[in-house]
Amino acid sequence: MSPRHKSQVRMLILPVSCVLCLVSLIGCTATYPQDRIKESIIKICKEEYKSDVLVETSGRTMVIYLPLSDLMDYSFALSKTASDKINDVIFSAARVALSTDAKIDFYCVIAHDVKMPELQIIIIKSVEDVRRLFANDISRGEYMKRMLIDLRWSPQAKKEQVVKEIFSKMNLDPKWQDQVMADFFRSEPTSLGDIGYWGNKFYIKDITLAEFLAEQIANRVKLEFREDKDLKENFLLKAVKGVYISRNGKHLFRFEVYAERSASGTTSAIEDSDKIFGMVLSIAAHVTHGYHFNDYDGVEVFDQKEGRSIEVNSQELEAFRTKKLRLNEIGI
Amino acid sequence: MIPRKWKMYVKMYWVKLAIIAAVLLVVVLAVVGLNSLESYYRNITLATMPVNLLMVALNAVIFVFMYMSFMKGGFSKLSNKLRIHGDMVNVKWSDVIGMENIKEEAMEVVQLIKDRVRVKKIGGKILRGILMFGPPGCGKTYLAKAIATEAGMPFVSMSGSEFVEIFVGVGAARVRGLFKKARELAYGHGGCIIFIDELDAIARKRVFSAFGGTEETNSTQNQLLAEMDGLQELKDKRGEPSPEQNIIVIGATNAPEDTIDRALRRPGRFDRIVYIEKPGLEDREKLFAYYLNKVESDKTLDIGRLARQAVGRSPADIENIIKEAALVATKNGRDKVTLEDISEAMERIDIGLKRRITMTPHDREVTACHEAGHAVVLYILHPTDDVFKISIIPRKDTYGVVWHQPKEELYHETKDKILADIMASLAGYAAEKMRFNMTSSGCSVDFQQAMWKAHFMVWKVGMSDAGLLGDYTVIPESQLSEEVKEKLNQETQKIIQRCLKSVEELLLKEKPILERLIKELLAKEELEYDEVEAIFNEFGKTHIKSAW
Repeated sequence: MSPRHKSQVRMLILPVSCVLCLVSLIGCTATYPQDRIKESIIKICKEEYKSDVLVETSGRTMVIYLPLSDLMDYSFALSKTASDKINDVIFSAARVALSTDAKIDFYCVIAHDVKMPELQIIIIKSVEDVRRLFANDISRGEYMKRMLIDLRWSPQAKKEQVVKEIFSKMNLDPKWQDQVMADFFRSEPTSLGDIGYWGNKFYIKDITLAEFLAEQIANRVKLEFREDKDLKENFLLKAVKGVYISRNGKHLFRFEVYAERSASGTTSAIEDSDKIFGMVLSIAAHVTHGYHFNDYDGVEVFDQKEGRSIEVNSQELEAFRTKKLRLNEIGI
Repeated sequence: MIPRKWKMYVKMYWVKLAIIAAVLLVVVLAVVGLNSLESYYRNITLATMPVNLLMVALNAVIFVFMYMSFMKGGFSKLSNKLRIHGDMVNVKWSDVIGMENIKEEAMEVVQLIKDRVRVKKIGGKILRGILMFGPPGCGKTYLAKAIATEAGMPFVSMSGSEFVEIFVGVGAARVRGLFKKARELAYGHGGCIIFIDELDAIARKRVFSAFGGTEETNSTQNQLLAEMDGLQELKDKRGEPSPEQNIIVIGATNAPEDTIDRALRRPGRFDRIVYIEKPGLEDREKLFAYYLNKVESDKTLDIGRLARQAVGRSPADIENIIKEAALVATKNGRDKVTLEDISEAMERIDIGLKRRITMTPHDREVTACHEAGHAVVLYILHPTDDVFKISIIPRKDTYGVVWHQPKEELYHETKDKILADIMASLAGYAAEKMRFNMTSSGCSVDFQQAMWKAHFMVWKVGMSDAGLLGDYTVIPESQLSEEVKEKLNQETQKIIQRCLKSVEELLLKEKPILERLIKELLAKEELEYDEVEAIFNEFGKTHIKSAW
C-alpha cells in the first residue's frame, strides 16, 4: 500500500471510529430508567394521550389503572373511545417496558368505567411477546392469541358487596364494616383472576410465566371451540379453566374443560372426550414450545362432563407435538 | 480577507469538501435522530445498521460493476491515471548527487523562476519550459523535483504515456486537466511546476495526413502547445499578470532531440534545453559514497576504484549495484558490503548470473582457448580497455566471457581503438584455429562485431587505407555504383584480414601466455583482475593502461 493510500485509510478510519464510538455511547443509555418508570408512563399517557392513569409494579409485573367514563356502548360492547384509550395506554406501557433498564416481564392494564367500577377489563401482555412482534418473530394473529383479555366483575367488589349485604341485613354497625373488610377480605391476589383495582387500591401480584401460559392455553381452548367447525357443531363449551399447580413434587398444567355434547352427535362420549384431550394437549404443546418453556413435568386435562382425565409428561407432550406419538399411545 | 491558499483549496477540492460537509451533516442528523428515539427503537436501529450497511455496499458494488461494465468501458476507467496530484516535494539541491554542471544550469533556471518580477521589470522574457534530454536513470525526475523545491513551488507530475489512450480526445482532455490543476496550485502557491516524464510519448514530430485526419498524439500535442501559449495570456482583475500563469513545464525524455516536434522546442514553449549526461568519474565517486552510506559497508572500500570500474554507469545503475551488493552480502552471510560483494553485483548486472551446465572437457578447452585469445589481445594490444575478468562459466547466452571496459569515459573512438576492438573480436577465432586447427560457432558474435566495426570504419568515417573518404551510408543505395560498393566492401575485408593476421602473429608470439591462461582457466574457471595481472607480469608484460 502506498503512503498516500495509507494516509487515506487512516483518514477514513478516524471518522468511522468516532461515529461508532458516538453511536455506541448513544445506544447504551435506557430512555426510561428503573427509578422513573411509573412517572414515565403517567407522563406519556398524560402528555401524549390525555389520559390519567395510575401505575404500580409488583416484582417483574407492571400494572396500569385506567379509569374511563364510557367503557361500554348501548350494545354492551366496548366503546370506540374506550377502545382507543386502552390501546393508547397499552402502547405507552409497551414503549416504557421495552426502553427501560428495569426487569419487566409482564404488564397489565386494568380499565373500568367510573360509573360502574365493578366491571373491569384486564389485559395482560408479555413484554417478550411485544418484542418478538416488533422483530417480526411472531405474527400479529399469534400475538393477539398470546394476549390475555378478560372482562369481569372485580373479585374484590364481589366480596365487599357480600360484606355490605351482611352488615345491612344484620343491622350491624357500619363503622366496623371497613375494618372487617380490611381484616378478612382485602388480601393480596394469589391468581391472575384476582388481579384488579377497587376502592383506590391495586390488587396485583407478580405474574409468572407458568400461570400466564396456563391462562393463555385456556383462552386458546375457548377460542378453538368457537373457531373449529367440528367442535362448534358438536360441543357447547361451558367453561375452561387452566392453572399451573404443584402436586407430589411435580409441576403440572391442569386444564378443566366442561363442554356439553350436542344431541345430534354420532360419536361416543369416549371419542368426544378424546377429541377434547387431543385438542387441549395440542394447544398446550404448541404454546409451551412457542415460549421455550420447560419448567413443567406434565399436563393434565380433565373432562368435567365425562369425569375422565388424562395426564401426559412433558416428553410425551413434545413427542405428540412432533407427531412421533399419537394420542392413543400416550395414555388413553 | 480569505488567504489565497484557502481559496485555492476550496477551488480545487470543493467537490470533496461538499461531500465531507454533506456526510458530516448526515452523521450529525443521524446521531440527533437516533438520540431522539427511545432506547429500544434506537437499539433495533443500531442492531440492523451493519446489515443495512452491508446491503447498501453490496448494492453499490453491483451498481458500479454494472455501470462500469456496460456504460464506461470497464474498470480501467477507475484507474489512477486520471488523477493528478499536486505535491510539495522535498528533494533538496544537495540531494542531487553529481551532475554539477547540469545543476549549475538548473540553478540558473531556478533563479529565473524566483526572480520573475525582476526579469519582467527589465523586460526579459519569462521562462515557460525546460526540456531535459538524457539517457535513462540519470536523475532527470530528481533534478526536476529539486528545481521545484528550490523554487518553492508545488510539483505536478505525469508521464507522457498517461496521456495516451485509444479514445479520441482523452489525451487532450488530460492535458487540459493537468494544466487546470497546475493553475489552481499556482493561484494558491504563487507558481507551479509541471513535470512531464517520457515526453516523447506525446511530443514526437506530428504527422499531417493528406486526408485531413490527424493522429490522436497530434491533438494531445496541439493541446499542450495551446496550453503553454495560453500561459502568457492570463491576467487578474487589475490587468496584472495572474499568478496562475506562473507555471513552468519541465519535460524529460530519453529520445534523441531531433525526434521531438520543432514547435515544442521553439522559444515560448520549452525555452531551455538541458542535456543530462551520464556521471563522470568524480560524480560516480560521489554517487558511490552516497549510496554506500545508506547501507552497512566496509569503511576501507576504495571508492575511487569503484568509480573507475563503473565507467558509463548512470546514477540509477550505481544505486542498483549497491542494492544488489547488499543482497550478495546477505547471501554470503556478511553483515556489511565488501568490495567482493560489489564486484559480484557488477558482474551479475553486466554479464549475468552464472548458469551451471555440464560441458564436455573438449568444449571447456575450446571455450578456455577462445576466451584466452580475447584476453591476450585485449591486454597487450587494446589502447583503452582493461581486462577485469576472464571466465569460462556460462552466463546468459554465452559459454565464456572476457569482461573488459575502458578506465575512463571515451567520447571519441580513434582508429587504433577501433582496430584493437576488431582484433580483440577476432582473437577468439584465431586462438581456436591456432591451437585446434579448427574453429567453432562461438565466433559468430565476434565476427558480427568485427564486421560491423570494419564496415563502420570504411563506409562511415573514412578510416580505410584506400583513401575512400566520406559517409557512404547517407548516399541512397541506388546512387552508389557497384564498383564503389565493391571497393568499399573489399576495404572492409582488407581491414579484417589485416587485423586477423596481426592477431595470429601476436598469439603465436605470446603462445606461452595463451597456454598458461588456458591452463589456469581450465583449473579455476575464472580469473580475476589481479590474477590476470599476475600472469601477464610473470611473462614480463605490464599493463600500461592500468591506473590501479
